[in-house]
Amino acid sequence: MYLLWLRVAAILYAAASIAVFPAVLYGLTRWRKSCIHLTGLAILFHFVSAVEMLVQAHRWMPVGAREVESLLGLAIAGLFFLLWWLYETISLGIFVLPITFFTVFVPALSPDRYTFPSQGVRMSWLMAHISALLAAYAALGFSLLASVLYLVQERRIKSKFKFVPGQDSWWVPLDWMPPLDTLERIAHSTLEFGFPCMTVGLVIGSVLAQETPLGAAYFLDPKVIASFAMWVVYVALLFVRRSAGLRGRRAAYLSGLVFLIMLVVMAANVVSRIHRYGP
Amino acid sequence: MSLALIGVNHKTAPIELRERIAISREELPNAIRALAAVPGVVECMIVSTCNRVEILAAVESPTTDMFAFLQRHFGLDPALLAPHLYQHRDQEAVRHLFRVAASLDSMVVGEPQILGQVKEAFAVARTAGTVGGNLEHLLQSAFAAAKKVRSETEIGSSSVSIASVAVELARKIFGSLQGRTVFLVGAGKMSELAARHLVQQGAGAILVTNRTLERARRMAETFQGQVIPFEQIYEAASQADIVISSTGAPHPIFRREHGQEFLHRRRNRPMFFIDIAVPRDVDPEMGKLEGIFVYDIDDLQQVAAAHMAERSREATDAETLIAGEVERFHQRQRTVNVTPAIVALQQQAEEIRQAEFKRVQARLGSLSAEQVAAVEALTRGLVNKFLHPPMQALKQAARENDSARLEALCETWSLPAGGNREAEPDTEATSAGDPETKKAEGTRVNENSEVGRP
Repeated sequence: MYLLWLRVAAILYAAASIAVFPAVLYGLTRWRKSCIHLTGLAILFHFVSAVEMLVQAHRWMPVGAREVESLLGLAIAGLFFLLWWLYETISLGIFVLPITFFTVFVPALSPDRYTFPSQGVRMSWLMAHISALLAAYAALGFSLLASVLYLVQERRIKSKFKFVPGQDSWWVPLDWMPPLDTLERIAHSTLEFGFPCMTVGLVIGSVLAQETPLGAAYFLDPKVIASFAMWVVYVALLFVRRSAGLRGRRAAYLSGLVFLIMLVVMAANVVSRIHRYGP
Repeated sequence: MSLALIGVNHKTAPIELRERIAISREELPNAIRALAAVPGVVECMIVSTCNRVEILAAVESPTTDMFAFLQRHFGLDPALLAPHLYQHRDQEAVRHLFRVAASLDSMVVGEPQILGQVKEAFAVARTAGTVGGNLEHLLQSAFAAAKKVRSETEIGSSSVSIASVAVELARKIFGSLQGRTVFLVGAGKMSELAARHLVQQGAGAILVTNRTLERARRMAETFQGQVIPFEQIYEAASQADIVISSTGAPHPIFRREHGQEFLHRRRNRPMFFIDIAVPRDVDPEMGKLEGIFVYDIDDLQQVAAAHMAERSREATDAETLIAGEVERFHQRQRTVNVTPAIVALQQQAEEIRQAEFKRVQARLGSLSAEQVAAVEALTRGLVNKFLHPPMQALKQAARENDSARLEALCETWSLPAGGNREAEPDTEATSAGDPETKKAEGTRVNENSEVGRP
């Protein structure tokens, strides 16, 4: 049954991804309302599907790649909804909603087919580890997106909206972008939200790893090393932002670096021998 | 009844003439009453703004002389006034009014004030008792058309004045202006205007400095702001989110090194410099710093000009919309004008029905009240069904302005000819000079219009 709910959610995300364009690009209120309602409904169905999926398959353990993908989609959509509620902007939805749709689309096609290898990891701490890290990844993604949009918006304002010869003004299609201050606040608040999530996720993961037969050797795995490197850069980013009020270009570059490491960490599941998706 | 519009505007008359015939808000009711007393004027109103003075009237005959009223009322030489005057009749008058209300005839196309001014002029005329059904219907249609233009095109969406462009840019940087600190360096008119716009948008503390402290104090009082001695200009600037500079200094006051200092003190929080001084007060090099945005007067004007060009493009769509609305108005008018014929048709049929019913009632014998009601309902239903096709045909012919078909239909059914009231003089209206009579007539027309409205 969870697959049906997930498919409904995927269709709703697709509809919201379509509605967000006229809503943002042309400022059409009706489309904006439709987009918000569709996203809200999609999140509801997605949540029901996730709960059913986890209960039915592994007692709350998202260990298959598709399950994780689906949950990541839920985290992204949830964060988008939260940002809309806090900052009353859906402009990021132009990027976020299609990404959410594609994240959900593959898991919605068919269920994971694998046998769960170990009874030992069926505990709620593992669920907390995975959820916290997925939330941190989604937050990092949002922060990077907001930082990049900040750079574009800053460049537009600095260029004084000059015309490109022989064309219509290049800046008009970008008129939908939120103000610099809003983008800065989104970039900063999502970073601050993601940091405790990542810290908690890594700490729980470390404690769980200690309890495995591998013990300390677990921390020599490239995936685990990359995860801690990501955390260190994350701390540095937050520290510099706070102490020097770093924003703009340099903040975007730093966010980009953390995001890049995050992608490496996610990809490392494929090469890691001890930390990987279910077969 | 015919519609007439006469006036001058910023395109046809210089300011020297416009200011001579401009009518203040206080004088407007008397001027309208004086206009209503002109022979042949049935309903009237006057729109008087800084860019136009226009008289709109429903007149009995196209020969009604409103030009003479203008000459007389303002004591102007006809030779001085005539070259600058424009006159429109009927369809053209309607089109002109719709364009004016939709701000397509304004100096700054798309500016929103004109609709309010036309509404206010209409309200004054209504209070003065010089508006009846004709103008009521016309003006309500004009307001609806203007609203449609505003909602269906982007004609009024972008700022075209320097002050509003500055506010728009500030909003792009800071989002909400609530609680933002504005620093006015120099107490010129332009910076006052920009500051006023910013305050209207919710800007918080206002700091003012000027080489002449007294002027700074006066400006600060206007905004309930704080006066800063000119020597402390850099300390104050670092506290401000928006700096509006308009001093007469021959060299830049704010240079790159100042910008770096401000950013350091503000922990890189952005600053927006609006430099409306010539020569410039802010070194353009400062704008290259990350987090500092500098717009000088040319930049602001360039953005305003770009917005203006955008409005011109939107105006083309708006013109098409207005043309459609004018046509729709005339269709409605023509349907209204055929109302007497439809009413006459219904009356004729009802008379026949009643006569026939009386004739057969004796033969039917004694009927109970319920039976009489049933027969009444039956006959009335039949009559209505028979009348439906000719009534629709009359309305259709009126909508399509097909006078030949209309006449043929009226002749077939022995009805009074339904015509275009706008184009036909009303021969019954003989008491043209008596405003009370005219008011009563206006009411009558209004009632007819309401009945005939489809």
